Amino acid sequence: MRHEPTWRSLFFRDFAETVCPSCKAQFCRVPKACCGICGLPGDGICRDCSLWERTEFAGLVHSGKSLYLYNEAMKTFLHQYKFLQDVVLSEVFAGDINEVLHHSDAMLVPIPMNTEKLKKRTFSQVDELLASAGLPFTHLLSKTDQVQGKKSRQERLESTKLFEWNGNKIPDKIMLIDDLYATGTTMRHAAKELKMAGAGEIELFTLIRA
Amino acid sequence: MDGLEAFFKGRIWLKDFTPFPEEQIERSIAIGDLLVTKGITADGQCARCLEKSPHKILSYNCAKCGNICYYCRHCIQMGRISSCTELISWASSSPQLHLNHSFNWSGTLTAAQKIASTEVADSLARKENHLVYAVCGAGKTELLFQPIFDALQKGLRICIAAPRTDVVLELSPRIRAVFPLTTVHTLYGGAPVEEGFANIVISTTHQLYRFENAFDVMIVDEADAFPYSYDEALERAVLKAAKPDSPIVFVSATPSDKLLKATANRSEIFRRFHGHDLPVPVFKPLWGYKKKLERNTIPQKLVVWIEERIAKKQPFLLFLPTIELIEHSIPLFKKLDGRIEAVHSKDLQRKEKVMALRNGNVPGLLTSTILERGITIPNVQVAVVGADDALFNASALIQIAGRVGRSISYPAGDISFFHDGISREMDKAKSMITFYNRRGMR
Repeated sequence: MRHEPTWRSLFFRDFAETVCPSCKAQFCRVPKACCGICGLPGDGICRDCSLWERTEFAGLVHSGKSLYLYNEAMKTFLHQYKFLQDVVLSEVFAGDINEVLHHSDAMLVPIPMNTEKLKKRTFSQVDELLASAGLPFTHLLSKTDQVQGKKSRQERLESTKLFEWNGNKIPDKIMLIDDLYATGTTMRHAAKELKMAGAGEIELFTLIRA
Repeated sequence: MDGLEAFFKGRIWLKDFTPFPEEQIERSIAIGDLLVTKGITADGQCARCLEKSPHKILSYNCAKCGNICYYCRHCIQMGRISSCTELISWASSSPQLHLNHSFNWSGTLTAAQKIASTEVADSLARKENHLVYAVCGAGKTELLFQPIFDALQKGLRICIAAPRTDVVLELSPRIRAVFPLTTVHTLYGGAPVEEGFANIVISTTHQLYRFENAFDVMIVDEADAFPYSYDEALERAVLKAAKPDSPIVFVSATPSDKLLKATANRSEIFRRFHGHDLPVPVFKPLWGYKKKLERNTIPQKLVVWIEERIAKKQPFLLFLPTIELIEHSIPLFKKLDGRIEAVHSKDLQRKEKVMALRNGNVPGLLTSTILERGITIPNVQVAVVGADDALFNASALIQIAGRVGRSISYPAGDISFFHDGISREMDKAKSMITFYNRRGMR
């Protein structure tokens, strides 16, 4: 089985590279100068995230981080990982994810998939990323039936309740984890539900800023 | 035969991804027309590509079945196979007699082609394997026409497999033209689904993963890799797609020693169909070519070679060992002539660029080994830059040299091996070519 702990993996944070350096070099890191919430390159908080602060979702998110930008290489990666269901590719960014998150004192909370979709894909891409990075995580949310993909931005903003609190104990600090940040709607809805359930500080982490 | 039978006969296919409605599939399973098998066998082998290496068959916690599932990474591009996916195949293997074929070819075979053609037909009649060992430009495809027609008339199903899509696409229109009444399907990654039951399937070896016990006659073109060479999986695919007692015809200009030993029935043609010698490569030192290119200068000797081609209006191919070097160098070559283009396996416009070379709109192409075989361009002149690179083994070099002088109007041409020290493989390629020319004299 994958993710079997070894003495080495417990004491050292070393992850074998699973892709060759020239392939890895095709992925593009988010630059230092970027939005402190979603990771969009630029100075300060980006326009989109500022706009969120003028909606009912204002003040939900403390800060956030994204690791990579979306490009051709990332598109190919996501296709092979999610569409072709090559589960083992969750290891490609394990070292990067671990490096950023292992110091965090927040509870790592993955964005969940709905049951139907999970059965179809046969694995949760976010859970697998964290498991491969050797990080413990807790599910606090379950997905309601609405599907995001084909809606316009307006429809997304208006869609009512995407997540439900699953009743597990809410800690003080939460880090919401997703694979891809596109409009930010998913994250805001998840944060809102957790706040209403009593969460304190909420941070965001996504592998990719689209 | 209905559409379902025509499609599934001889195939092994992912149940969840068929071109038919789900109810129709379920009904056929219920009445026993379609058989269902597990994607990964109990002992951990992929039922489609027969992969069983633990590096390629991986386990994980499956959310669909709630168990530990295994999945196959080897053939994942064709839709993932896992323990809880199902494959379907047509249950009955009764022969389908379709005997209304015609043979529409007015060309003539050379004496050597005629002998080989008869020998292939004889081996097939005895259900024995056969090797056609013939140099580049000998006219291997033409000599197969008659044996293929004989097989069609017996109601047999024939597969012509080649390792590369480019070769499949080149073969397909020729075969269709020769057998106009026969249903011919062409299979490669991304090919459109074709209707009806195909008596002739022209396929990349890769696509054969999706067949099982299907073919009465198997022809493997460009069979250099056989047997048990770099891609064992593709050889498994060929054996799986053929019926157990079906004969296999191997066709190669550069067969491996193992293949030569393994096939008792053999036809050899060491002369091109137009009767001229194979162009013999000329070794030309190009010291430190890689460093020079990396420092953004084209070595003078190479500049001279290219300028001569352009002045004489001769199309040229320039083979380079790596895609990186091609991409790095193409701007330098464009300074010599802005129309020069580069192609490699990841280039989506490969077909168009080769066409442009053929039409004279492009004077020359920088290329990886992707164009080493299967293509014919009249009067093309060829240079290999870094012929000593480990990537170019003797058979690759022989194939590359085989691009030159194929057409009867231009039976000669320049084949230059630019090098940084002569390799054994270069020596071997040259001595093989001179050997063919000597043998061809008889």
